[in-house]
Amino acid sequence: MVRAWAGLLMAVVVASAGVHAATRPPKFEYFITTLSNGLTVILSEDHSTPIAHVELWYHVGSKNERPGRTGFAHLFEHLMFKGSKNARPDQHTSVIASVGGLSNAYTTEDMTVFWETVPTQYLPLVLWLEADRMASLRIDEATFANERDVVKEERRMRVENQPFGRLSEIIYDQAYSVHPYKHPTIGFMADLEAASVADVRAFYETYYVPENAVLTVIGDFDIEEALGLVTQYLGRVPKATRPVPREIDAEPPQTEERRVVLTEPFPLPVVVVAYHITYDGHPDSYPLHIASKILSDGQSSRVYQRLVYEDRLALAAFGGGNIIEDPNLFFAVAIVQPGRTPAEAERALIAELDRLIDEPVSEAELRQAKNQFARDYIVGRESNQQKASQLAHAAVIHADVTTADGEFDIFMGISSDDVQRVARTYFRPENRLVLTILPAATRGTRSDRGQ
Amino acid sequence: MFESDRSPPSVTPVGLHARRLIALAALVAAQVFASGSAWAQRTAADWPTEQPPRALPAPEVDFPDYEVRTLSNGLQVMVVPHHEQPAVSVRLLIKAGAAQDPRGKGGVARLLAAVMDQGTTTRSAPEIATAIDSIGGGLGTGAASDLTFVSAVVMKDSFDLVMDLLSDVVRNPVFAADEVERQRQQTLSGFQVSLNDPEYIAEIVFDRLVYGFHPYSLPESGTPASVAAIARDDLQRFHATYFVPNNAIVAVVGDVPAEEAFSAVERVFGDWAARDLPTTEPARPPEPTRRLVVIDKPDAVQTEIRAGHLAIPRRHPDYMALTLAVNILGGEGSNRLHRVLRTERALTYGASADMVALRSSGDIEAETDTRSEASTEVLRLLVDEFWAIRRNRVNPRELSDAQAYLTGHFPLTIETPTAIAQQILNVLFYELDLAELDTFRQRVDAVSVDDIQRVAREYLKPDRLSIVLVGDARSFADQLPGLGFGEFEVIPLADLDLADVNLGGRGVQRSVQPD
Repeated sequence: MVRAWAGLLMAVVVASAGVHAATRPPKFEYFITTLSNGLTVILSEDHSTPIAHVELWYHVGSKNERPGRTGFAHLFEHLMFKGSKNARPDQHTSVIASVGGLSNAYTTEDMTVFWETVPTQYLPLVLWLEADRMASLRIDEATFANERDVVKEERRMRVENQPFGRLSEIIYDQAYSVHPYKHPTIGFMADLEAASVADVRAFYETYYVPENAVLTVIGDFDIEEALGLVTQYLGRVPKATRPVPREIDAEPPQTEERRVVLTEPFPLPVVVVAYHITYDGHPDSYPLHIASKILSDGQSSRVYQRLVYEDRLALAAFGGGNIIEDPNLFFAVAIVQPGRTPAEAERALIAELDRLIDEPVSEAELRQAKNQFARDYIVGRESNQQKASQLAHAAVIHADVTTADGEFDIFMGISSDDVQRVARTYFRPENRLVLTILPAATRGTRSDRGQ
Repeated sequence: MFESDRSPPSVTPVGLHARRLIALAALVAAQVFASGSAWAQRTAADWPTEQPPRALPAPEVDFPDYEVRTLSNGLQVMVVPHHEQPAVSVRLLIKAGAAQDPRGKGGVARLLAAVMDQGTTTRSAPEIATAIDSIGGGLGTGAASDLTFVSAVVMKDSFDLVMDLLSDVVRNPVFAADEVERQRQQTLSGFQVSLNDPEYIAEIVFDRLVYGFHPYSLPESGTPASVAAIARDDLQRFHATYFVPNNAIVAVVGDVPAEEAFSAVERVFGDWAARDLPTTEPARPPEPTRRLVVIDKPDAVQTEIRAGHLAIPRRHPDYMALTLAVNILGGEGSNRLHRVLRTERALTYGASADMVALRSSGDIEAETDTRSEASTEVLRLLVDEFWAIRRNRVNPRELSDAQAYLTGHFPLTIETPTAIAQQILNVLFYELDLAELDTFRQRVDAVSVDDIQRVAREYLKPDRLSIVLVGDARSFADQLPGLGFGEFEVIPLADLDLADVNLGGRGVQRSVQPD
């Protein structure tokens, strides 16, 4: 229901949009339809280079995982490369590489995305491969156990063996109580170990169905021809026999400030100030994006100027919203310079967030933020992959493909009052987590030498 | 609570002509019949057994249009017009980098790059930041082994402004003392993070082993000691010596007419005076020698593994053949290391081998990471793959897959203006023949199985690998002799010293049995 009025508001804003200071990106030209099995298809021609990009978004991510099965959506993404009725394990990747193409996949809290870029003449091959694994995935015990070990190595590499590698999972664990954003997409080792082939089958039958997917294809083809191929290969994937479940526990509102101090084997102390905010597409999300720009885009931004340049409190500092499908966090983070204290960094970060409440942002800063937005829009639409991601994001997360272009006008219409209003709404002490992470001494590691 | 309120969109026209829409509507209607089994149970039994579809006819692919000119002061200028998005990007390369850092002052080029945009004779650091940020532009600087760069992106209506700013930053930086100190502090604090990062440690120790005391042996960012030793004078001297037009390349890419781009470059760089450059040839790196170093990081849960040795510079007649050989070992299209270590044994998330071909030298480097207890097994498997590609002729199918990847991939490398520019810059930077851009596929396809065997025998030296393991030595070091690694050094991370011949350790500590 909330989504519906977001769309309505958008239409009003577009109609009343005024003068644009910023350069406007060209609008997308695309065709969208839904096949009878429920698959949404977006096609767009780009004849500048003889290649095609295919992107298949399944609307399932780590927030759809059951307790005790964290990391499963991502583990499942890996299994999609391990063979289907007409493709041997890993053949999907090797076949595409052998024609010069690239392919991969990624999983977020909200979705799982499979993509391929190939010379255009191989578009039928890619669509056939995607259809094959959507309809006939084959996973045996040995393959499953093998790939689970690969994912455990991935967790060690990305999280456990990196300086600050656990920062994100600590923030989310502290900030959330019930919503599944509490746990990391990569999952926990014990949960990965507990997963079984039966879980794989159930997950596949539930979420890897045409009506839960959006296929976006951009490249050097005629839309008629591409639609014929999409229909031929993906149109025959059977329709799901039951609806896709969408129930996810909502996070209850936070009513008092949370202050947490932890120790971790980090090389330097870290301070995090995090506020619960709204979801992607809510009217408040746009001024929050603008606030992120004003705080942290470029060396003239407020957080950089204050914490890194002027006060030299932080090796790195950042403030911005993680605005995704369900309500997430707006957080400011500082890695504290040696010789400075976490308390100083905390005061400076909170002062910068409070300043957004206490005084309207200047016209110059607002104009700068909008110009930076226009730049992101424009340089974020150079490759077919970037364009496909923009369209698919609009179709999957906003359930409205027109936002891929329409949001530009919303951003251009944001006022300094809007920014101040959302700052007042969300940057309240009782809505905030203040997290200080102090370095724990680690065996055999000294950070002051090593040349 | 989060019910989907999406209703299936109907056929929606966006920017398409009516006639085409009618045809599309007919197609959509037709597919209802094509998928008649829509309500069938979703089982693989109903799914047809079939071969992959054939490719459509392949189009011709040519390298896109570009133009290269040289100004009278020697500045090379490259323009790639590209009008899809209303943006322009500009990049200026100076052909000197960390390899030209003065002895004992490693990190000069990097620090210079960090301070270069922090104040000029007419603009302060905050003024530069505001100038670029307020128009929604982006400005970045950096340095690598052989080069230092400034790059910027702006919307096309700010093209003149960004050219003024870029030339000011390149030609008139003041290296103010407080700005130098601020960036020095950032660099030194950054070491506290990077010297706890196993990947970074593995890279710098590997380079040190391969390149001895050649300039490529030291980290581009220097070391805490060398960065502390840099004076403001060092930055000024580096700038005065190497920042000259006859040692630079400018690329303008994007939504600007070629003539406008050339005249803008002439306007801001035309009066930049040429000057002779020093003509010192760097010392030759040492011949490969077998050395295995374990950097002990007891809190590590994984071991970072690097193995490789000296190879060839970018300008070398065997560059293409050796690239394909290394790709068969661990590159795109046919990666033996990935197959053996990940696909078959789940010992790692990723394994690869790369050829790093720089201006005066180059190396081959295999890399992977694995859980601590599997470190020795993984190292053995990885070194065995070096032996295998040297001893046995590669399967013709492996070579053709590696070739097909490179040739098929070509159209993907000319998709964005930045990617096009990068290829031309490579050719100019390494002083190759521009015609190479058009003959890429022929050069790939000319390599035979015999060529692969010849270059593998000539350049791969599995008995003389430089090997680095960064991890928890207690978990695996005892197993090394049993798997053929009789001689190795264990160096506690806290003692690591790149300037020392023993890297801060006590030399070889064990010699149980020869390899």
